[in-house]
Amino acid sequence: MVFSYNWLQSFFERKISKPEKLADFLTMKSFEVESIEKIGDDFGLNIEVLPNRGPDCFSHLGIAREVGAILGYELVTRNYPLKEDKSLKTKDFLKVEVKNKNDCYRYIARTIFDVKIDSSPKWIREKLLVCGLRPINNVVDILNYVMLETGQPLHAFDFDKIAGKKIIVRKAQKGEKIITFDNEKYELDKEVLVIADDKTPLAIAGIKGGKKAEISKRTKRIVLESANFNQKTIRAGSKKIDLKTDASWRFEHGIDPNLAELAINQASYLIQEIAGGNVCQGFIDFYPKKLLPKKIRLDLDYVENLLGVKIAKKEIEDILKRLKFKVSQPLSPSSDNTLIVEVPTFRLDISLAEDLIEEIARLYGYQKIPLVFPTVTLIPPQKNLNLFWEKIAKDTLKEAGLTETYNYSFIGEREKEIFNFKDLIELENPTSADYKYLRPSLIPHLLKNIQKNQRFLKEIKIFELGKIYKRPNFEEKRRLTGAIRGKAFFEAKGVVDFLFQNLGIAQVWYDGFQPTPEETEISIWHPLRCAEIKVNHEEVGFLGEIAPKITDFFKIEDKVTIFDLDFEKLSRLASEEAIYQPISSYPAAIRDLSVLVPRRILADEVLNEIERSGGELLRDVDLFDIYEGEELPEGMKNLTFHLIYQARDRVLSSKEIEQIQQNIIKTLEENGWQVRK
Amino acid sequence: MSRINFLKLKSQVKKEIEKADNLKILDEIFRKYLGEKGKITFLIRSLKKLSKVKRRKMGLQINEFKAFLKKSLEKKAEEIKEKLEKEMVEKDWIDVTIPGRKIQVGHLHPLTQVKQEIEEIFQSMGFSIVEGPEIENEWYNFDALNIPVDHPARDFWNTLWLKDKKAKFLLRTHTSPVQIHYLEKNQPPLRIIVPGRVFRHEATDASHEINFYQLEGLMVGENVSVANFKAIVQEFFKQFFKKPVKIRMRPSYFPFTEPSFEVDLFCLNCLGKGCPACQKTGWIEMMGAGMVHPNVFLNAGLKPKEWQGFAFGIGIERLAMMKYKINDIRLFYNGDLRFLEQF
Repeated sequence: MVFSYNWLQSFFERKISKPEKLADFLTMKSFEVESIEKIGDDFGLNIEVLPNRGPDCFSHLGIAREVGAILGYELVTRNYPLKEDKSLKTKDFLKVEVKNKNDCYRYIARTIFDVKIDSSPKWIREKLLVCGLRPINNVVDILNYVMLETGQPLHAFDFDKIAGKKIIVRKAQKGEKIITFDNEKYELDKEVLVIADDKTPLAIAGIKGGKKAEISKRTKRIVLESANFNQKTIRAGSKKIDLKTDASWRFEHGIDPNLAELAINQASYLIQEIAGGNVCQGFIDFYPKKLLPKKIRLDLDYVENLLGVKIAKKEIEDILKRLKFKVSQPLSPSSDNTLIVEVPTFRLDISLAEDLIEEIARLYGYQKIPLVFPTVTLIPPQKNLNLFWEKIAKDTLKEAGLTETYNYSFIGEREKEIFNFKDLIELENPTSADYKYLRPSLIPHLLKNIQKNQRFLKEIKIFELGKIYKRPNFEEKRRLTGAIRGKAFFEAKGVVDFLFQNLGIAQVWYDGFQPTPEETEISIWHPLRCAEIKVNHEEVGFLGEIAPKITDFFKIEDKVTIFDLDFEKLSRLASEEAIYQPISSYPAAIRDLSVLVPRRILADEVLNEIERSGGELLRDVDLFDIYEGEELPEGMKNLTFHLIYQARDRVLSSKEIEQIQQNIIKTLEENGWQVRK
Repeated sequence: MSRINFLKLKSQVKKEIEKADNLKILDEIFRKYLGEKGKITFLIRSLKKLSKVKRRKMGLQINEFKAFLKKSLEKKAEEIKEKLEKEMVEKDWIDVTIPGRKIQVGHLHPLTQVKQEIEEIFQSMGFSIVEGPEIENEWYNFDALNIPVDHPARDFWNTLWLKDKKAKFLLRTHTSPVQIHYLEKNQPPLRIIVPGRVFRHEATDASHEINFYQLEGLMVGENVSVANFKAIVQEFFKQFFKKPVKIRMRPSYFPFTEPSFEVDLFCLNCLGKGCPACQKTGWIEMMGAGMVHPNVFLNAGLKPKEWQGFAFGIGIERLAMMKYKINDIRLFYNGDLRFLEQF
């Protein structure tokens, strides 16, 4: 909000600081001054008034009070000596009825006759322009001027256009319509408060005036309104009809109802001075429940304890008084370290001792509070195992040559369709159709990442560790997904193995996935190049090549291999304590074994047979070579294993080893496989 | 037995050795004189034919010659070896300016790196790292944090709402709800930081994203004060930027803290002279903070009279952008490897 420097100066007899200096003071003690602009012989200060201070500081008067408190200057008292015409009494001409007193806390109306609508004087126009308001005519400009000075929105009606000479404050009826003074049509409903005559609405209360009783060039007699509305009512109404105005914005933040009188008097005075009106005597004032100042007990030990600095009692009292609080000692002086603070009604934001402490702290100066390390009992921080495993997983993938990406948590309709996602969580107000759902998988964005980078890089290996979201319970689960450009099943599998090894998860195996024809139809995976990743009997993820229809959809020129892991499961499995296996002090013996098997026999099947028939003295089996080629019979492959024999308690004799080896060979041959000797 | 002129022999040997340029020739010279069929060996064998006196005289001369020969050979051998070594080394010369062979490594996202660094600093000051859900209800995201329904303050957080018939869910607009979750389950004194993804309904530009990361801090005890906050936060910035820093605090407003303040950092880029990074003010706005509002304690089931503490929230992207001089927040989320591989 822009404030006029000259206007602020007009509240003081003494010269206030220069604009830059004043801006610094305000920034450090009240509100940030975002910019200063020289406008004519004035300066516009763009001040970011904090929202809780809207009630008092959306006004020059409020900012001037802050300046006064900071500089220690007194504000001048302004007098508005009205000349009322005793022959005309407001209450003889007009009636006011407030039907909803919970929506309208105060309503003041006053009639002024014989005004002459014209343009306003230069000094008013200049002030309005500095503050960014467009001058209209003398009455409207005066009302705006008073609003900018005091913070109280005012409204004027053409008295002669009010049917029945009665103002009614009521809720609108459903379907009731109003045309505002800028010729916009609004359909109202029961949530919207209106100012009406005995026929139709004249204004949307606290939001905007209507066309019907608008001030025009021909207006002679006016009704001035200075009202105070429930901030929630105005907010709800403004939301309902989707209309925000300077007035609604002020009412939403709340305004001191005691301000209404000051503002209407000032406006009446100025109208009389400038538009030459005849001010009727008295005003109608609906104000059933007068707002009185609050009293707050302030414990000075608490002030010291919360701020971490001792401020002298005298200084605290001085700060509070500069802010127009009244300070007194408690009646029973149980402790002389307590103050009773009376809060002026314009400070709607203050209701607790903590609120007062903030006032003291900011005017004392945050920069004067020392830096003190807390003295606390030494409690070591708790280790966060989730983050611990995340770090190990990310570091492992980085070592394996993958680069980490971060993607949006959202996907769009297109991804939903091609992936055939079900049970998605939909956003009520997405920022765009591309971000309509919460992602149920990290795969779509990783494919987009590959698409985006394929022009620049041949080799692309990426991963993301992030949350995915699913109905019905709005579950959010961490997922770890990697993507490698190209046919890279075994490279990806190697990466997954390396990851499990670093997480200390043993017993990982890969189960060939056999989709049904229907599943194949909708699957995103290449049906013959994918596997479920399992630990013991639990599925923890999926590995495979992405089906061509998906890569085509994402316009990826190459194959893509993906591993997609449930990180919640990984984290849990990793946390289960690994048990130490004692290292045998007896030597191990290694024998090799070559087996010729049909191509479609899984290496794992052969491995399992070897392990099963090898017994416990066979400590480890490694597949170290797979060969398919010309020298072999058609449709066959040759697997070569290292077999490692070792006992915990003795040196194995070659006779013993030979016996087991023969047993294994026998078992393999029983499967119809040929062991090559 | 012919008379032998040892002097002549010596000079002859000397010449032969001087001429030799490899170890093989030296070996030949040795054998020529001292080998099985060598001249001197032959001479020694014939000594027994001489008289005792002559034998003795001759013997001395032979020994002296043997010693001379061996010494000369050794010396020469040494020279040759040295030379050879030199030549070998010469052959091993490499051009050290040839670029190193490229190693294929992956990269961690800059936000991961910055997040880990922040976590380490706060852990060293005794803060535990805590996380919380991204999908929240209104109570945790707003009401419990003293942001009532129908309050204009709710408009600061442009919220993304989820579609659901039964309940009103939203994507958390800040990490502050975790304050409530944690205070509900843990008895103070406590110190935590909460890193996490947050969401806003926002038009994206160089400094706005629809999802981004925040770090919440919370310290609660019997005497935790503004002075403590200042010390902890300045220490954090000092360790994070690895140089002395200066902070300042200005009044601010958050419904869940009272007093509330904004923390600015003295611009490390221009050292206060004023530059584009600090919009010519010499200070950079870093975080919002304040003393936990009594209503927050109340809403989490604690007695406000018994506890006090500070809370703060800082944008992780902002710290990363300052650290690496990145000027567009969108770079973090567009997956461009030409960007990500720089970290």
